[in-house]
Amino acid sequence: MNQAVISCLHANLPAVEAVLKDIELQGITNITCLGDLVGYGPQPNEVIELIKDKKIATCQGCWDEDVVDGLDACDCSYPSQVAEKRGHFAHQWTTEKLTKENKDFLANLPYSIRKDKCLFVHGSPNSQHEYLLPDMDAFAALERVENAKAEILFCGHTHQPYIRELANGSIAVKVKNSGSKDIQKKEMNLPMRRIVNAGSVGEPRHGGTKATYVVYNDITNDVKIREVEYDIELTCKAIINAGLPPIFAWRLKNGFEFAERAEDASHVCER
Amino acid sequence: MIERWALISGLKGDLDTYELIQKDLKKTPGNITLFVLGDMIGPEKNCNKLLHRLINPKSNDLQPWCIYGWWEEQILLESGYRGNQRAEALRINKGEEVVKSLINAVDKSFLDWIASLQFGFVELDCGLIHGSSKDVGDDLTLDTPPLTLLDRLTRLQVNRLFTARSTQQFHLELTEGIVHSEVQDLAGNHKKEQKVPQKAVIGVGAGKNYTLYDVGTDNTQFVRAGYQLEKKKNGFGLHL
Repeated sequence: MNQAVISCLHANLPAVEAVLKDIELQGITNITCLGDLVGYGPQPNEVIELIKDKKIATCQGCWDEDVVDGLDACDCSYPSQVAEKRGHFAHQWTTEKLTKENKDFLANLPYSIRKDKCLFVHGSPNSQHEYLLPDMDAFAALERVENAKAEILFCGHTHQPYIRELANGSIAVKVKNSGSKDIQKKEMNLPMRRIVNAGSVGEPRHGGTKATYVVYNDITNDVKIREVEYDIELTCKAIINAGLPPIFAWRLKNGFEFAERAEDASHVCER
Repeated sequence: MIERWALISGLKGDLDTYELIQKDLKKTPGNITLFVLGDMIGPEKNCNKLLHRLINPKSNDLQPWCIYGWWEEQILLESGYRGNQRAEALRINKGEEVVKSLINAVDKSFLDWIASLQFGFVELDCGLIHGSSKDVGDDLTLDTPPLTLLDRLTRLQVNRLFTARSTQQFHLELTEGIVHSEVQDLAGNHKKEQKVPQKAVIGVGAGKNYTLYDVGTDNTQFVRAGYQLEKKKNGFGLHL
C-alpha cells in the first residue's frame, strides 16, 4: 500500500495545500509528517490547523521544538551571523503569531513515530537538529538506522530529498592484547538498510523551486520522490506582507540551494 | 626516547592507588605522559586529598592531565553547574543516599576546578575520553557492536579512541570493513563503495588497572598498579 511522507512544511500554506492535493489525487490516505510545521513561512497557524484537520501523524521538528522550548540549536545551525539573526527574527515572529492551542499541539508532538520496520524522525534518531546528508559517512549513516532498530529510516531536516541504500557491508574486528594466545578475530556482515529523506514541502533546498515529498510502497518497498508545483508568488507576497526577511521569499522564488544550512552539517547541537 | 602514555581512570578518591601508580610510572622507561580519564571522585570515600594532589602535584609526581568522567558529571549536575538539570540518573539508579554521599565526598571548593575540566583530549590521531564522543556515560566494551564503535571514532575523526567508562581493559581493532552506498536523488543515481581504515577502541581500565600506550609502535600494555614491584620481589621482573 502506498503511503506519503512529508516534511519541513515551514508555514508555507500554498505549498502544503498543493502537496496534499497531489497525494489525494494518487488515492493515498496514509500520510506521515516529519515535522517543522513552522518557521520561515508566513502561515504557521494555518498550516498547523490543516495538519490537525487532516489528522496527519506528525513528529516534532527542530523548529517546532524551538518555538515551544526556546532556541535549542546553537549558532552552528547557521552558515553566518546574518543568517542566524534572520533565523532568530523568524523564530520570534513565529512565537508571537502562534496561538496557545497550536503551541500546545507542537509541544505534544512525539520525537519519532514507529510503524513496523519503519522509523520516522525529523533529523536523526539522535537529535532533531542532526542532518543526515546524502553524502555523510556510510557507516555512520548505517549506524543511525541500525541502532534505531529500524530497516528504513525516514527523515527530513536537510530539505534535500533522497533515497540511500546501504548494502553488502561487513566489518572485521580483532581483539589485541587479550592475554589469550589465540588471536580473536571475527567478521560481521552488516544488514541492508535504507534512509529516505522526504525533502521539504515548504522550503525546498535541492536546487529547484518545487515542493518535494516521497511516496513509499510498503509491499514492494519502492520509494518515489515527488515534485509538486505550487503558487510561489502567493507565499512570497505573504512573506513580504508579514514583515519577514525578504530573502525568505527570494530563495523560494529562486530555489536557493543552501539556505541557512550549517557549514558543519554533521555537528549535533548539544545545547 | 620512547614516548608512552599512561592512561588511568576510576580512582574514586583513592589516593593510595594514585600514589602506587605514580611509583610504578617512575620505574617505567620512556617519556611518560599521564592522562587521568575521569572518575577521580566517587561516593565511597572522601575525595579531597586525591583532588588536592591532582591539582597540586608533588615535585616528583608526573603531571596529571585530567578530564571529567561520569561521577564528576553527576556532582556538577547536582551542584547546579548544568543549569536546571540535576543528577537524576544517579538518583534513580543508586538512590538518594548515594547522591548525598557523593556531595559529602567532595569539598565544594573543588567544584570550580572539576567544572573547568575538559570533556576529552585529542592527541595525535587519538581521542581520550571517559565515555565516548557521544556521551560521558557511553559504556563501550568488547561487546559493543562494531558499527557503534566506528560511529564513535568517526564523530571525533580519530583513529584510536581510549575510553574508561566500562572500567574494562581491552584493545579492539577494526581491521577492515566495507559498505556499498547508493543514493538516488532528483539528479540521478550515485554509487559509492566505502572502506574502513584501520581503527581501534581501547578500554583503559579503572582503579589499580591502567594502560600504557606506546605512541611509536601503537602497542598497549595493561598493567595492575604494584604488580611490577610485587613480581620483582619474587624474582619476576616485568619488562616494559
